[in-house]
Amino acid sequence: MACAEESFAVTQKGAALRAAQEGRFDELPIFDRAIECASREEIEALQLEKLKKQVAYTYERVPWYRQKMDEMGVAPEDIQTLADVRKLPFTDKTVLRDTFPFGLFAVPLSDVRELHSSSGTTGKPVVVGYTPDDMDVWSDCIARLVQMAGVVPGDVAQMAFGYGMFTGGFGLHYGLQKLGCAMIPAGSGNTERHIQMIEDYGTTVLVATPSYAMHICEVGEQMGYDWASSPLRVGLFGGEPCPPGLKAEIERRMHITCTDNYGLTEVMGPGVSGECLAERFQQHIAEDHFLWEVVDPETGEPVGEGEMGELVLTPLDKQAIPVLRYRTHDLTCVHTEPCACGRTHARMDKVRSRSDDMLIIRGTNVFPSQIEDVLSGIEEVTPHYHIVVDTKNGMDVFTVETELRPEAFSDSFESMNAIKENIAEKLKSTLLVAPTVRLVEPGGIERAVGKAKHVDDRRKK
Amino acid sequence: MTVSQISVFAESKPGHLGRVLSLFDQAGVSVRGYSASDTGEYGILRFVVDKPEAAYAALREAGCACVVSPVLCLKLEDKPGELLRVMGVLAECGINVVYSYSMISTYIVLSTTDPEQARQLLADQPVETISQEDITRYVAERPDWKEA
Repeated sequence: MACAEESFAVTQKGAALRAAQEGRFDELPIFDRAIECASREEIEALQLEKLKKQVAYTYERVPWYRQKMDEMGVAPEDIQTLADVRKLPFTDKTVLRDTFPFGLFAVPLSDVRELHSSSGTTGKPVVVGYTPDDMDVWSDCIARLVQMAGVVPGDVAQMAFGYGMFTGGFGLHYGLQKLGCAMIPAGSGNTERHIQMIEDYGTTVLVATPSYAMHICEVGEQMGYDWASSPLRVGLFGGEPCPPGLKAEIERRMHITCTDNYGLTEVMGPGVSGECLAERFQQHIAEDHFLWEVVDPETGEPVGEGEMGELVLTPLDKQAIPVLRYRTHDLTCVHTEPCACGRTHARMDKVRSRSDDMLIIRGTNVFPSQIEDVLSGIEEVTPHYHIVVDTKNGMDVFTVETELRPEAFSDSFESMNAIKENIAEKLKSTLLVAPTVRLVEPGGIERAVGKAKHVDDRRKK
Repeated sequence: MTVSQISVFAESKPGHLGRVLSLFDQAGVSVRGYSASDTGEYGILRFVVDKPEAAYAALREAGCACVVSPVLCLKLEDKPGELLRVMGVLAECGINVVYSYSMISTYIVLSTTDPEQARQLLADQPVETISQEDITRYVAERPDWKEA
């Protein structure tokens, strides 16, 4: 098999994506073939071995878990199969807050080499630590996912995340260095300087939030910078969800290949999963370091194979702050069949919704992101929407308000009704519950400054 | 010879017709005839104005969903039977009328969700409300219409 790590055939602009589109995956590099392409039996055997050790380690060193497991009547020896993980307690973000700052730490601070924290929109931040081994695992996971995205040793990588307490900046920095890239720690802000550096230093990889990448793209265009002949080849996105439409637009205008990755500060930071060039709506989970479960957000029970549910993660070798069965509140679906790219690690669908967003309407689960997907495929309306759920004669009634595009208006009630009925029909076939559709004037849906508020649930709880 | 009618998509909510009218006002556009029809949740406002291009530009600038379409304007004599006669002429010609409204009139008709309340609210306002009797009397008091 050809080894891309040596041939470097994919370092030409667009070559990696072209190779993937043409199915020439043997030309694409894989960071750790022995682990990333292991059989399911090998993966599961490794996971079980690590899980047993990790549960014993956690029980022994973290009083909160010991007390919780004692209350539940479960001992480390009870973990004999991977399914036995269900005997263990869940961990929610509140536990990390309640034990702030170091209550869940399993090692003294003298063994910790770095602290990070998540901003936390409410209350105290969540603080996590990394031992030298933790940092090694972390940079390893990142090195894998940047290579999945087409980055190779020798690439010049420019950081446009802020560093600071946020895990994204340092995480990607360490991982890219481990792969063998030259890091330019530019940090966020000063967009003109970023573009100047790309040109001056021959930057091939840009690490940014997708919205900042879009901004860099636009500023470059205004400056007359020619992205088509720029050395930049790869965009690594994170820090915020990346809508597929935005990614496609950045790829087209900046002439780069973009992927995004997934992670949470509570279980490590970035590096939990990343997108390969074969399945661009999914991300490979680093299964040798994370045991995943998908559970019903209401009951905590596992959902059926291939069904959507809440992702629960157990890091398998974290030393500084071990966490068991972390409830991410992120909804996804996990697929275990091998990927065209050659990797065998399970793939999770990119997270589009959180369990906190789920609505139950007439007994059916409805996610705002499903409505967003349907509306984005209808050219007569904008992607802005608002959902109102109410009760009428004991029945749930649910209305989706969406904005008519000015170009779609015609002076006829008949064609307006046809637009409405088409939307209602498409929503019903996706959601399996029929909404009432209301067309509102362009600009009629309130624009949120921060996080958009899409749902108004008026039902009595 | 057609006239450019401006149609605007508007939600059936207080202030939405007013918003369009104030855009016209700012653009120096004068309304010479209009109709507002609805489906309960949204409606189509239709206007005949003195400066259609300026009216359309002002609406688009404000982000409104609107279109310009050609319509016919006919001048009727103010006498009984005239509307019937003209509709007959159109039917003879095989012309289907999709919708129709009258223009250049300072008498306007409004349908509201609560007519009685609307009447009471307007009673103290500087605007005159016309009764059915007023209309009946107006026709009855025109001696020149008697023989028609």
